[in-house]
Amino acid sequence: MKKRWLWLFLLISLLLSACTNPTVTQPATQSSAELPTETSPALTLTDALGRTVTLDSLPQRIVVTGKASLMVLDAMYMFPEARERVVAFEDLAQGDVNFISLLDPNYAEKAWLQRDAGVEQFISAEPDLVVMKSSNAEKYGAPIEAINISVVYVDFETPEQYARDLGILGKIFGNPQRAEELAAYYQGKVDAINAALPEEVTRPSTLMLQYALKDGAVAFTVPPLSWMQTRLVEMAGGTVAWQDVQASSGWTTVTIEQIAAWDPDVILIVAYNDDPSTVVASLKEDAQWKTLRAVQDGKLLGFPKDLYSWDQADTRWVLGLQWLATVLYPEQLKPENLMPAVREFYQFAYGIDSATFEAQIKPALQGALP
Amino acid sequence: MNDSTLLESKEIAATKHSWIWFALTSGLVLIFLVSLFLGRYPQAGFVQPGQLRENELARLLVFNVRLPRLLTALLLGMVMASAGTVFQMIFANPLVEPGFLGVSQGAAFGAALGIVFLGASSVAVQGLAIIFAFIGLGFSYLLARRMHIGDWLLRLVLAGIAVSALFSAGVGIIKFMADPMRQLPEITFWMLGGLASITWTKFLSILPACLVGLAIMLIFRWRLNLLALEETTAFSLGAAPRRERLLLMTAAVLATAAIISVAGIVSWVGLIMPHIARGLFGSDTRRSLPAAMLLGGIFAILCDDLARLLIIGEIPLGILTSLLGALIFVILMARRRQAVPA
Amino acid sequence: MSEALLSFEAVAFGYSRQRQVFTDLNYDLEKGSLAVLLGPNGAGKTTLLYMALGWLLPTAGTVCLSRRPLQSYTRGELGRRISLVPQAEHLPYTYSVLEYVQFGRAPHLTLVEMPGQKDHRVAREALARAGISALADAPMDKLSSGERQLAVVARALAQEPEILLLDEPTAHLDLGNQYRLLQTLKELNRAGVTILMTTHDPQIALAISTQTVLVEGNGKVRVGTAEQIITAETLTHLYHLPAGAIEIRPNRSGIWLRQL
Repeated sequence: MKKRWLWLFLLISLLLSACTNPTVTQPATQSSAELPTETSPALTLTDALGRTVTLDSLPQRIVVTGKASLMVLDAMYMFPEARERVVAFEDLAQGDVNFISLLDPNYAEKAWLQRDAGVEQFISAEPDLVVMKSSNAEKYGAPIEAINISVVYVDFETPEQYARDLGILGKIFGNPQRAEELAAYYQGKVDAINAALPEEVTRPSTLMLQYALKDGAVAFTVPPLSWMQTRLVEMAGGTVAWQDVQASSGWTTVTIEQIAAWDPDVILIVAYNDDPSTVVASLKEDAQWKTLRAVQDGKLLGFPKDLYSWDQADTRWVLGLQWLATVLYPEQLKPENLMPAVREFYQFAYGIDSATFEAQIKPALQGALP
Repeated sequence: MNDSTLLESKEIAATKHSWIWFALTSGLVLIFLVSLFLGRYPQAGFVQPGQLRENELARLLVFNVRLPRLLTALLLGMVMASAGTVFQMIFANPLVEPGFLGVSQGAAFGAALGIVFLGASSVAVQGLAIIFAFIGLGFSYLLARRMHIGDWLLRLVLAGIAVSALFSAGVGIIKFMADPMRQLPEITFWMLGGLASITWTKFLSILPACLVGLAIMLIFRWRLNLLALEETTAFSLGAAPRRERLLLMTAAVLATAAIISVAGIVSWVGLIMPHIARGLFGSDTRRSLPAAMLLGGIFAILCDDLARLLIIGEIPLGILTSLLGALIFVILMARRRQAVPA
Repeated sequence: MSEALLSFEAVAFGYSRQRQVFTDLNYDLEKGSLAVLLGPNGAGKTTLLYMALGWLLPTAGTVCLSRRPLQSYTRGELGRRISLVPQAEHLPYTYSVLEYVQFGRAPHLTLVEMPGQKDHRVAREALARAGISALADAPMDKLSSGERQLAVVARALAQEPEILLLDEPTAHLDLGNQYRLLQTLKELNRAGVTILMTTHDPQIALAISTQTVLVEGNGKVRVGTAEQIITAETLTHLYHLPAGAIEIRPNRSGIWLRQL
């Protein structure tokens, strides 16, 4: 009976010893006098979590993973280097077409990660850098660092974070000039609106609602006060109508009575999975909604979107901002300037020319656009 | 049957048993080693031992990511299966699971708190999960003491159901308050169980609690038989049923809570493996408990392999254990080779 | 006169203030006797038995084993001297008879020990004494009720007790199995085991007891030989039935019911 255990022990020892088999001896090292050559300078940066990350050279194989990687990816592709250096990411879309597929000819080969792809899954891409939103740090960060792959965390949630995180991306891509350009562009648009806002005018009370089917029924929700959606209203010169909603960390459902009680001047409808204009049209027919002052004034509007909605903390927030400003202050910020600004954005940020814009972006435009 | 044939049949049984032991142990070792080298990198399939030497990334992957993960899976299987055996004996009920006394749902509640209110830091989630696992157990115990229906064990079961429901509702409330983009999926994923974020640190943090729990359960495994008997009989045999049951339950819950805190809620392992172990070795926990441990280890490693290898994402471990566990359960019940004991 | 192995001294017991079962019980169980506690259901026989076990604690007075109070013994010591065959042994899972009988070795093992060679041998001897050696590997749930009862007795014997307590051991047995069990008990008694058992069937007392203890239900007991205790008046009074007992021949008594 003991023999069996001996055989098992032998088998295990054999298996394990195979691992320690000496392979071909390493080539003899050069003489110690030789200095190591530098291919590119090492870079040091501080990421969104305040971590200091040092990379020996510019990363050439970047993987983007974790939750909400879509927004990070959009930001990265504003840098021309992204096309060569980003090698794998999730196949995400808010709708039918993935935006990155318009920018990267190799999209199909790269978009193979699935949700929650951990180390085991993306390591075959042999990354030298992983970029994730900071909320993924605890869950996914530790195993990646355990295999000595650098991780850089970014946020891209608020305008301030955009400025900072663009700088981080600039360092990663070795293109700080581009980062400054982009940051200046975004800041420029915010400043321009600020400058155009008239002094001492009552800022219109604005209510932003997301229309969605929740548990089988239609629900209207408001975003948390800390999110980009709320910031857009403030930056466009509006007053946040839902200021008194309890601090929450997600979209909060509100009832029609509450909406009536707020009596906002302007109501914006965000719909990620529907055409906002269609929703607005059906709401205008609704008996209850008809009684709202904003609806009677014709200020019930669908929030625009193309491939992605413009209200989110995506690169398109600058478009949402400009649109909202023209809605709230049509005299100072002419609506007719909006579409040219949109084209200019796509050209500047993504190098999307007129033809591609007409073919791919324009047909997807929805919402209350002039 | 005279004595010599009796002896022979006993020897045959003993031989059969020792072969099964051998098969189980070698099965466990082999599946562990195979899983260690199986993956997608550097190529789909097995890592060649030589590659480990040359490829630093592969080496780090195997020793810093896969190895602690597999060890945790092994621990998970062993702890859940033996805790399941302990509870099934103490409650004389083949349908109970380690977490049913408010332990699982309590841990889920604690983890949800950590995820939503404390920034989802590892330490917070893990710590709160363990704390609330024990709070769940404590509530069940206190509630049972105040009840007047039925005997002590029935009261514990009922109290466990009530406390689990309470914490479950609590988790629902927290989910409602959670950020649907970041926190809600994290809570959901945690509740489905998974070993994707296991590192050496996490493994070593639960190792002491698990080893202590396992050691106690192993040392007292024969005594566990007595605790399944009626209290008067156990008393007449010189046992102190209440105290000894408490000791074993605490050991089982300690190890279970530690596992849940890093792996989330993984069910069915603790329910099914004791059944299979009893089928192979008989109900005597002297043998069926260690057998359940081996079976649990094999099963957990198998499920974890599927979790990380089946698709290019990560399938939550709890889904796989439930799926496979329920399948095995159905097959076992349908076979009816062995009458289900009354 | 043999020494009193187990003695009840001024024992009182009640499940609640209303339900006082005993108020001043004095009773000695002598070494080597086979004592039968007889009485109607609810009279207190089982209560007395469980006080002898030490499971129920008297509200007043003491129960002594070898002149020392039961409380002064550790549970392990008690388990090595007194064993119990309960009325119905419910096993949640199925064991083989031998595995089950080995449970009886628990009082001789420390908390962390498991049965070894010696325990194995003692278990087999217990099986032999109970007359069921052939059933060693049979699963408990496949036994007939008679065999099962004998298995429980074997388990109790594996404790190597001085006193064997049995609670209505013949309750679910047919005549043949009853006889077999009683025969085994008588042999054990002859071999030196002191036995205390409860029953509500006077015939059993008549058949095997060396001492009959009548538990009347009013807190009192009457002790004597079976013939002394079991008379027509006693039976009628006890069971409120028209019954009679006659001596058929020496060592043979019978009980009859008047025809309805």
